Amino acid sequence: MSPRPTTGHVRRPAILKAAAEVIAERGVIGTRIADVAERAGTSAPGVLYWFATKDELLTEALAFSDDRFYAELNDELAQLDSARDRLRRIVELWPAEGDDEAVLWMELWVRALRDPAVNAARERLDARWRAAIAEVIRDGQAAGEFGPVDPEGFALTLGALMDGFAIQLALRDPAVTPERVHEHCMALVEERLGPLEGVA
Amino acid sequence: MSAKSARERILDAAVERIASDGIDAVRIARIAMDARVSTALVHYHFATREALLAEALEHSFETAGDVRDEGGESGDSAARLRAMIDQCLPLPGELERDWVLWVELWLRAVRHPELRPTAAKLYKRMNVWFRQAIEEGGFGDVDAGAIADRTLALIDGFGVRALLGDPAMPLERARAEVWHALAGDLGLHAGAPSEYVR
Repeated sequence: MSPRPTTGHVRRPAILKAAAEVIAERGVIGTRIADVAERAGTSAPGVLYWFATKDELLTEALAFSDDRFYAELNDELAQLDSARDRLRRIVELWPAEGDDEAVLWMELWVRALRDPAVNAARERLDARWRAAIAEVIRDGQAAGEFGPVDPEGFALTLGALMDGFAIQLALRDPAVTPERVHEHCMALVEERLGPLEGVA
Repeated sequence: MSAKSARERILDAAVERIASDGIDAVRIARIAMDARVSTALVHYHFATREALLAEALEHSFETAGDVRDEGGESGDSAARLRAMIDQCLPLPGELERDWVLWVELWLRAVRHPELRPTAAKLYKRMNVWFRQAIEEGGFGDVDAGAIADRTLALIDGFGVRALLGDPAMPLERARAEVWHALAGDLGLHAGAPSEYVR
């Protein structure tokens, strides 16, 4: 079967953008392939050509969104001299798209609870995030900005902290504001990555 | 042993069904059958599906809470806090099942605002529980509220990963990491989970 390549390249991002929107609105269970197709301005077969299942739509929509996030992030970070500033910027930029992103991650967790393929996809996406953080930590360690903490370990802790707060933000817990979350994240950075000279 | 009321049986059944089947697959008729009551009785006790879900969440929380009050009187504040952390993580058995429930309900609460007050109430309860244990623990002048906030966020973040069987976050590590952070906040020298620090 030979697709029309130009249309294909235009379609995939449009489909993923549509999938992100519809799933954020309705949840995976409440989303039909036809809904995504309509939102993307294509047909159900047009969606199925690229993505066999709704779960794939979800995981690929998140991967696509991550791709854009990392691309923009790298541009921004390249302009910052210190690793500490880069880490601060990452914390500031998250949650990237606000509510929609957070709910997609939560959809992913719920699907991952019951589907091993989705669970594996979640792990890959998480590992990517942790690697991005760990890279900034290593750069900082090489430059003498950060102390001798395990970069992967720190990335895991920061990720856990952010996810925990993301849930409360998504639930609109009045006790939790984005500003407080950033304060907590930066406090963790200061505590764990204190400069070599300042380590107790 | 007292017989459970119909209402309690319905809630027990709802908790089991949500955990095993997921919220969207939950059917009132099935819950009624499991609870050995009529669907009419379920509707009598719980006006809407959301009301049933909210109460199921509270019910599982409260049932877990019976576990939570154990081990509180040893006098060793640090040991008490460690036990409290354990009781909030998805340890095998009921706690793990409850966690599945909570993850399902978190997601639902994002789209169904009626569930949010219940979620907020339960979070606040956990927060107060930790805050009091910190304040009463003789740890000196610490910001108990901020420490409780952070501890709970870490419990959720590490807990979800442990629940999902993330190879980077086995349950033992989740326990160690949460304790390491809390101990640090309290000025205790827990030492870093040793293999995880260079």
